[in-house]
Amino acid sequence: MQTAYYLVLVPMVYAAFAVFVLGTVWRLVQTARRPAHPTTLQIFPKKEPAWLYAVGDTFLMPSIFRHSPVLWFFLAVFHVAVLLLIIGHLELFGDWPIFQLVPHEVFLGRGFVGLVAAVSVLYLFFRRFHAPVRDLSVPEDYYLLILLFLTIIFGSQMDWARRWYDYDVMGVSAYRAYLWSLVMLKPFVPDEILYSGHAFMLVLHVFFANLFLMVFPFTKMMHTFLALPMNLLRRG
Amino acid sequence: MDQQMREDLLKLFQTKLNRAMVYYLETCTRCGVCTTACHVYQSMPQARYIAAYRAEIVRRIYKKHFKGQGKLWPSYGEAKELTEAALQELYDAAYSCTGCRRCMVYCPFGIDTQMLMSIAKLLLVGAHAEPEILTLLADTSIEKGRSLEFFKEGFLQGVKNLEQKVVEKWKLEAEGKTVIPVDVEGAELLYVALAGAHSIIPAAAVFNAAGENWTLSFFEAVNFGAFVGDPTRTKLILDRIVNEALRLKVKEVCICECGTAYRVMKQLSGTQPFKVSSVTEVHARYLREGRIRVSKKAFEGQVVTYHDPCQIARNGGVLEEPRFILQHLTDDFREMAPDPRYNYCCGGGGGLVALGEDTLDFRMKSAKVKAEQVQKTGATVLATACENCHTQLSDLNRHYGLGLNVQFLTSMVADALVVS
Repeated sequence: MQTAYYLVLVPMVYAAFAVFVLGTVWRLVQTARRPAHPTTLQIFPKKEPAWLYAVGDTFLMPSIFRHSPVLWFFLAVFHVAVLLLIIGHLELFGDWPIFQLVPHEVFLGRGFVGLVAAVSVLYLFFRRFHAPVRDLSVPEDYYLLILLFLTIIFGSQMDWARRWYDYDVMGVSAYRAYLWSLVMLKPFVPDEILYSGHAFMLVLHVFFANLFLMVFPFTKMMHTFLALPMNLLRRG
Repeated sequence: MDQQMREDLLKLFQTKLNRAMVYYLETCTRCGVCTTACHVYQSMPQARYIAAYRAEIVRRIYKKHFKGQGKLWPSYGEAKELTEAALQELYDAAYSCTGCRRCMVYCPFGIDTQMLMSIAKLLLVGAHAEPEILTLLADTSIEKGRSLEFFKEGFLQGVKNLEQKVVEKWKLEAEGKTVIPVDVEGAELLYVALAGAHSIIPAAAVFNAAGENWTLSFFEAVNFGAFVGDPTRTKLILDRIVNEALRLKVKEVCICECGTAYRVMKQLSGTQPFKVSSVTEVHARYLREGRIRVSKKAFEGQVVTYHDPCQIARNGGVLEEPRFILQHLTDDFREMAPDPRYNYCCGGGGGLVALGEDTLDFRMKSAKVKAEQVQKTGATVLATACENCHTQLSDLNRHYGLGLNVQFLTSMVADALVVS
């Protein structure tokens, strides 16, 4: 069993990051090298500065707010939660004074960030069971949400165990040791991770996250990087 | 469909894959925000009329033939092989879309459905499955550019007949002046009209009243190549006018009330020594500069509303000028939509009006929401600045018994001219 854990926690993590980084860069470069569209694609009236409006369109999603406020709410909650979770993971590598402007114990939000992320993913998932979104959805849309949900729920579970149920075998110091060993290319999984009763939770979290990273460059997840250039086209 | 045909069509597909197109093909998250954007869906709520659904019909073929995903795991994104059945789906998607780009305003990423439909239209042209009449009309236009001498005499005679009407109606002085000048080298402005007196007579009256040094193009503005989605034909039709403008050394090319012609000329003609304007912009300029005067008497007691032609307004940027003109024509102007980006398409764009009776039933049903939008304004006069829109709105007027007076903005300006 420990061998399987090790495979997920070490070689698969390296593979996932390689696929994610190289795949994303390759796809973005490949797309950027294509010829530009010969004409403007903007919608009028033009507002200046166009780039600022494009940034606003990308990060505030005003058109969704206007036409589908409930969806906007859950999307906003979801994306902000994911951002906070990413910050939380960065803090697993070390102390970042900038993130500690709001003093907190890693992760931010006392476990509730993961909870609202999971709930909003469920909303995004179940809304696809209703027309008209049902008619638009393809399996990809469900697969990615399921993958995200599994990643979030197993990841958050570890936070919840520590925060809400006083579980203290696996803690931030163990994660730091593990993650830094990966960064330094001297992979090592501390015993409290490999042999803890909750280890399978971590392993499942990492496993689903690995899968997610590996499909990322080849799916609609690329909207993460393409949303801004597309909005720039529309704003002119 | 045999293998060779499929390969040829996929080569055509490949030519469309520029950076923007790949963005549009890769990014849709199928969030469904565009659902209510389309006037067709609003009038007939069926999933196939949702912008994202139309786009997905093209996208499925892209996934199958241009992405590893579609080869390794086709069911993941419902990738679909290009077949005869797929062509039929492409036809239904592309020719129920008017290319108005209202959905682009809704989409959080700004996906351009008209661009995605241009892939469908090009594949249909490649498979000889497009509406033939559009290709025929495009070829006629191209032929006219090639053998102008053959058409010239008839055209000049036709113009002579129109001149008399301009003089009669507007009592413009005609002594020693040509009322409708043609082929004038060194003219300031080349006016590109449509084949039809209604597109030439009022415009001529206004140009002459403004003392413009203008000349009428031999060619009609409309670009059937753009309707049928054939880039080669679009370019050939456009080039006739560009070459004429260069030959006559004009400083400005003024496109008549035709949305497609205006957008193609404005955005596709590249950097040229002349500027491109719509006749609406030119008329607004004349009013602003005091070169023409109009009176509000012609439309006294009328309630006027204005339909923004999609290719001129949302997609072309001519928004203020028609409103400025209408301020001079009426005291009772009412907007259709609080934000002109949200104005509904008339339902006749993308070649649907050019297909005439064949699409009439669909056009009437799919534009129900437009008829309602017009009706809500309480207007008695419905002005617009596009031939297609005018035809479609007149059809809607009849079909839904709206009792409106559908007018071209140029005609309204001409009718209200104060000739001193």
